[in-house]
Amino acid sequence: MKRNRTMFIAFLAPAIISYLIVFIYPTVRTLLMSFFHVDNITAKMSTWTFTGMQNYFSIFESEIFVRSFLNILKIWAFGGIGIFVVAMLFAVLLTSGIKMKSFYRSIIYLPNVISAVAMGTMWMQYVYSSKFGLLKTVFSFFGAEKLAAIQWTGPELLFGSMLVAFSFGMIGYFMLIFMAGIDRIPVELNEAAKIDGADGVRRFFRVTLPLLKGVIRTNLVLWTIEAVGFFVWSQVFSPRTLETATITPMVYMYQLLFGSETVVTARNVGGAAAVGVLMTVIVIVMFVASTKLLKDDGLEF
Amino acid sequence: MKENSIIKKRSRLIPGYIVVSLWCIFTFVVIGWILLASFSTTKEIFNGSMIKFESGLHPENYTKALFTHNVAKYFVNSIIYTIPSLLGVILVSAPAAYVLARFKFTGSGIMQKVFVSALGIPAIMIIMPLFSLATAFDLVNSRGILIILYIALNVPFTIFFLTAFFKNLPGSLEEAAAIDGCSPMKTFWKIMLPLVQPGIITVTIFNFIKIWNEYFMALIFTTKADLKPVGVGLFSMVQSMKYTGDWAGMFAAVIIICLPTFIIYIFLSEKIIAGVTGGAIKG
Repeated sequence: MKRNRTMFIAFLAPAIISYLIVFIYPTVRTLLMSFFHVDNITAKMSTWTFTGMQNYFSIFESEIFVRSFLNILKIWAFGGIGIFVVAMLFAVLLTSGIKMKSFYRSIIYLPNVISAVAMGTMWMQYVYSSKFGLLKTVFSFFGAEKLAAIQWTGPELLFGSMLVAFSFGMIGYFMLIFMAGIDRIPVELNEAAKIDGADGVRRFFRVTLPLLKGVIRTNLVLWTIEAVGFFVWSQVFSPRTLETATITPMVYMYQLLFGSETVVTARNVGGAAAVGVLMTVIVIVMFVASTKLLKDDGLEF
Repeated sequence: MKENSIIKKRSRLIPGYIVVSLWCIFTFVVIGWILLASFSTTKEIFNGSMIKFESGLHPENYTKALFTHNVAKYFVNSIIYTIPSLLGVILVSAPAAYVLARFKFTGSGIMQKVFVSALGIPAIMIIMPLFSLATAFDLVNSRGILIILYIALNVPFTIFFLTAFFKNLPGSLEEAAAIDGCSPMKTFWKIMLPLVQPGIITVTIFNFIKIWNEYFMALIFTTKADLKPVGVGLFSMVQSMKYTGDWAGMFAAVIIICLPTFIIYIFLSEKIIAGVTGGAIKG
């Protein structure tokens, strides 16, 4: 064992040091920052002035931040429901004995390996285009002129269009995890239920779904982390520099710190830190809540 | 009777086939159209005659995208960031994963949990101190900072992923090596590391896709056009489309940027898919 000590230190040190520098130190510093008035991002700690919870109150006084916060809640709730329902549907369909399962699976997952900027650009510049867009072409072909004339990236629909485009790509990822969960359920359980006369829908709600609790919990946490980091799609779906229709807390923070346009005027970096802390707390709360609510009830399979 | 039930079973699956097929067709149409548009002209894209290719193919869109719109530069930058990062991540993570997976010592369990917990820390929480650190060391707008960040940010996931592979190796390996007089360090490099090669390959594919497509850190740490990687470069190109109006060139740029990850996916999709579910389910 003693012989191993040098190796332990040599093998773990680089990982631990990089972890401390890139995760621990920044997390602690941001947490502290959120209770101080900090003039700019590079300000030394000695120049900070303690203001207690002031930063947290002030971000909620900012109309743009409140808007971004509501947007992220909408993305989390509506996007989450949409993604989970479709992903689960696809997972059930693909595990129900369909041929070419792996082909369909890999096509549905495909958007996840492509750059989000590129995916967003494809949707924004082609699918939703009001000049030569896919939706416009398809609707005109079927003679639905009213539908063809819809401005998908106009001010009213911009947020919804962004959410649909984003969810389209995410579905493949969550579908894969659901599929892996379904594959682990022993076939005998479903066979037994079938012999007992349960139809497909009933078998799904009574057998499959309860056994997927753990997988749903994993997906819920992964989805929350994904939603909190919502950034690229908001940028791609912003015709203007600061598009309030699609703004998210991360974009708000980015504007607060690095924005060249002074739409977000307050130059207190403490507010940005408070946004970061708030988002991290959301992830932690979701993690704890989903572990508590979706307890593994000792079902082993 | 038996035949009947097979037909019944097959016909029950038809709605499922239709749904997933429509979804896949949509994906093909979108990507296929972008590919065709990238060989067309902006004029033909706008007047709807693109599919006919009346004026022939226009591969010059690609040279325009690469050299006039600087995509070549972004592409080279991305390669410069990606390759050292991928090597660095493995060099830092594999030894740590090995120790955490194969040896029990005080704090080893907690250490594993602490590493995993980093996967839940949003970028928004760590970006400001990272930026002030980078400023203090005069690293903003340098290639080094992105490589360092890409290594460090991907260490937790890589350790998490490789730990499972090291755990699955038979327990008697180290003993046998020790009896033969192999030092622990040598055992790792010569015996254990080659045995987890499949895991290293899979996690490197994931890291490649992640780093190639990374956007946020690159946006913050590279403000000079000369240093931008593909994601940030494409975004600024799309932004300037209002002035240049070169849609065909933009679609060519989209294709160029997607190509590396897309090609890897064509050959290795099964490996990637197995990796996604393996990692997530165990977590």
